[in-house]
Amino acid sequence: MSQISVSERAAGAGEVPVSRAPVFARLRKRITPQSIAVLVFLGMCALFFCIPLYVVVVTSFKTMDQIREGAIFALPQVWSLEAWDHAWNRACSGIRCDGLKVGFWNSVAILFPSLILSIALSMVTGYALALWNVRWAGTFLFVLFICAFVPFQIIMYPLIVMTTTLKVYGTLWGVALIHAILAMPVLTLIFRNYYKDIPTEIMSAAIMDSGSFWRIFFEIIVPMSGNILIVILILQITSIWNDYLIGVTFGGLAGQPMTVNLANLITISTGTTNYAHNMAAALLTAIPPLVVYFLVGKLFVQGVTAGAIKG
Amino acid sequence: MAPRWSRIAPQLALTPALAVTAVAFVGSIGWTVYLSFTRSRRLPDYEIDWSEWGRQYDRLFRDAGWEISLRNLVVLGLGSALAIVFGFILAAMIDKEKRGESFFRTVFLYPLAVSLIVTGAAWRWIFNPTLGAQSFLRGLGWQGGVDGGARGGQVAFTCLAQPDTAMYAIILASVWQSAGFYMALMLAGLKGINSEIWSAARLDGVPLWRVYVEIIIPMMKFTFITCAILLSLGVIKAYDVVVAMTNGGPGQSTWVPAYFTINALSAKSNLGYASTAAVMMLAITFVVFIPLVALTAWQQRKREAAR
Amino acid sequence: MPAVSFEHIVKRYGAVTVLDDLNLAIEDGDFLVLLGPSGCGKTTLLNLLAGLLEVTEGRITIGDRDVTDLDPKDRGLAMVFQSYALYPTKTVRGNLRFGLAASRLPRDEQERRIAWAARLLQIEPLLDRKPAQLSGGQRQRVAIGRALVKKVGVFLFDEPLSNLDAKLRTEMRLEIKKLHDELKSTVVYVTHDQIEAMTMATKIAVMDAGVIQQFGTPDEIYERPANLFVAGFIGAPAMNLRPATLRLAAGRVEAVFAPGAALDVTDYPFAAAPEDGMAVIAGLRPEHFDLKGAASGPLAGSFTLPVRSTERTGSDATLYLAFAPDHLALRISPDRAGGLQPGDRVEVGFQAGKANLFDARSGRRL
Repeated sequence: MSQISVSERAAGAGEVPVSRAPVFARLRKRITPQSIAVLVFLGMCALFFCIPLYVVVVTSFKTMDQIREGAIFALPQVWSLEAWDHAWNRACSGIRCDGLKVGFWNSVAILFPSLILSIALSMVTGYALALWNVRWAGTFLFVLFICAFVPFQIIMYPLIVMTTTLKVYGTLWGVALIHAILAMPVLTLIFRNYYKDIPTEIMSAAIMDSGSFWRIFFEIIVPMSGNILIVILILQITSIWNDYLIGVTFGGLAGQPMTVNLANLITISTGTTNYAHNMAAALLTAIPPLVVYFLVGKLFVQGVTAGAIKG
Repeated sequence: MAPRWSRIAPQLALTPALAVTAVAFVGSIGWTVYLSFTRSRRLPDYEIDWSEWGRQYDRLFRDAGWEISLRNLVVLGLGSALAIVFGFILAAMIDKEKRGESFFRTVFLYPLAVSLIVTGAAWRWIFNPTLGAQSFLRGLGWQGGVDGGARGGQVAFTCLAQPDTAMYAIILASVWQSAGFYMALMLAGLKGINSEIWSAARLDGVPLWRVYVEIIIPMMKFTFITCAILLSLGVIKAYDVVVAMTNGGPGQSTWVPAYFTINALSAKSNLGYASTAAVMMLAITFVVFIPLVALTAWQQRKREAAR
Repeated sequence: MPAVSFEHIVKRYGAVTVLDDLNLAIEDGDFLVLLGPSGCGKTTLLNLLAGLLEVTEGRITIGDRDVTDLDPKDRGLAMVFQSYALYPTKTVRGNLRFGLAASRLPRDEQERRIAWAARLLQIEPLLDRKPAQLSGGQRQRVAIGRALVKKVGVFLFDEPLSNLDAKLRTEMRLEIKKLHDELKSTVVYVTHDQIEAMTMATKIAVMDAGVIQQFGTPDEIYERPANLFVAGFIGAPAMNLRPATLRLAAGRVEAVFAPGAALDVTDYPFAAAPEDGMAVIAGLRPEHFDLKGAASGPLAGSFTLPVRSTERTGSDATLYLAFAPDHLALRISPDRAGGLQPGDRVEVGFQAGKANLFDARSGRRL
């Protein structure tokens, strides 16, 4: 765009040219009143989001006496660890009063077999569906897609019967198994979509070189899966740790994850409720996934999004 | 054409997944549907009385608890839709005002990492009538009715204790939990909008709100629809948060279909009835699900055409 | 016995037939180029040979074995892909070894082959690097190396040089040709680039729309194209294709383009006796023209035409003469072209015996 105005051209030689104002003003990032308003609004929303966490933290360090005074937002007068200790070691879940540490270790014990089972199965299935010529793959994928959406309640009773028959009902293995089964459709779809993006020529080359389904899987595909594995691990760890329904349905008394302990604790209607204990228990349950969240941030969102829209 | 091993191997590898799908999903759904026509109570009774095969369904449709559940489902759905609006506003602001994006994202998204039981526990405590937020606000001297002045002009944060308003507390907890997620989806959608559109609108002198309403939001309709569908599916599944906040109470006022179904099985030990409720949940899910399939298919077709 | 043969190959995708009754025999040691435009079926044919696609009907044999039903890895083939298709998480050594390990060779034999291929392709210093750390040309060498270590008799190339820049392409062309000469293996090479075809092939199969238009040596294809398609496809600048009418008079045969523009074709090796008034299309290569008066050999025919434009490339000059309805392209040396301006009228002749005549209706060579 020419900077010379018409008048300048018309002026020709000898006449004073009009000042050259650039056509576009340089856009500098100034702090406008608009910016401030937006930041204030966002700040207030951030406060809203932080309030529950703040309240839980603060309450967990208070003594019951101070809580009875009613100032929920006040900081603890005395920072007491009693609630934490009680929640971890002595809180009652049902008839057992050994604290949330029972649930904690149960949750951990549920996590590992469930992760291994679900990821192993889904990865192989996704790989077979994405990279090999199976005639009924399309139909199967559609069925999996539907299975990913069916509500748990529609298959609840039959699953109870199956786990009872397998003698894992009411144990940690039962909970882990159900988690693996329920996760299979979603994870398979995610893996399948991820593997579909692998260039076809790499598969062609591998087939010409070796042709073995399993060799190609272990030596070529699995090493390439690092990125999606992390995302899926985050998704599954969060979803399994935070789950309540499966834990309460299949855990019985021996296989209660931490969330079930917590729910039992806060919903008891007998006796006086010790809010400090409840909040400490809630915080204990929330800390592991929160740690994961703060460590991996962006990948976390990817995981949850992938789980929601099935890859 | 002789069968090749390269054809057989993948199919063999798929058999475990096939078996799981057939047994745990397809078979189980069929099983439950069948049970919904029987008179099973604590134990399954596989005989169907053909003269009264729809008996459980009749009962269900006349059950006040189910009616409440359905009503609450709608209320929860509409209320939780606020999460989408809220999420969009947050996303729009963060997108426009690039400063502090990473900080705000971290803050708004952390509820996703937290179990719904924990969320329910926290908000239940905040809503505690005697020691919770209400007491704090009263201490500040705020006079005003949150429940429509039922207590004669005094602050009443008794949401959870009142049958009419308990659901709203649950909605609030739900919105708190999920707004961040929808914000993340919206942000991704907003980032996909060509920055030149903003420049063009600015040159045209269009006021900002009009840019959003007339240009940006229509461009993001795919994202909005996805959010709406995800929200609906999430609302149908809602269970944990109800257990943690109200356990269905007061009375039955915060019952939702998922709660109803589980209750029918565990508390009432009525297998047939629970199966019926589960079938209805499936039906409702499909009503929401079908647009999603259509949407995915349409999106797929668009992607193929662009190649 | 041919090293590779295709017998009555039919390939159908639903209602679409891509290859119909295609037959081709490749001799041992041949460097066969499948040449043609995009979509002509050459890559499909290659993939059928590789076993990556299955034939709808027909037979493929390699040596004396019928491989039609065999898996790719059992056919004794090696393939080099357009995008190199190196395994990204393996080192160069790992890439070379992957196919070998599957064949259950003893470890020291594997190492020997890897060392041999690495030396041959000069990629020894790269053996411990990953593909992402290599340049395009290096990746291509590794891809070739991966094929070499298998020590098979037949190598397949799928447009391997398309992703390289012009200079690298020239280098690699020479290298591949050199390898072929040294190893004396059979090569089936797919490309759309005629320069690659002409410089590397011992035999070319020109394809269009799933049909082999002509199969022969590069010289045959160039000097005696079998039909209009091959004539127009090979040669840069492209062969001039002009409609003409045959006139028989007094024992002489002439191809008449326009009043005053004719070419004597009496000595043309007609397959069947020419008829007077027959409509033909004459194919005249640009380099077989010359300016009358400056030419060294006998020129048949005479055209006096105005110059439209000239293109000089330093080593060559292309002269475009206006000749209704468009132009005639001539290739002459730059000094002869020097000084010629658009509008100048020049008299040009055509080298006797270099004309190609095609039936105007069928396009087939006369």
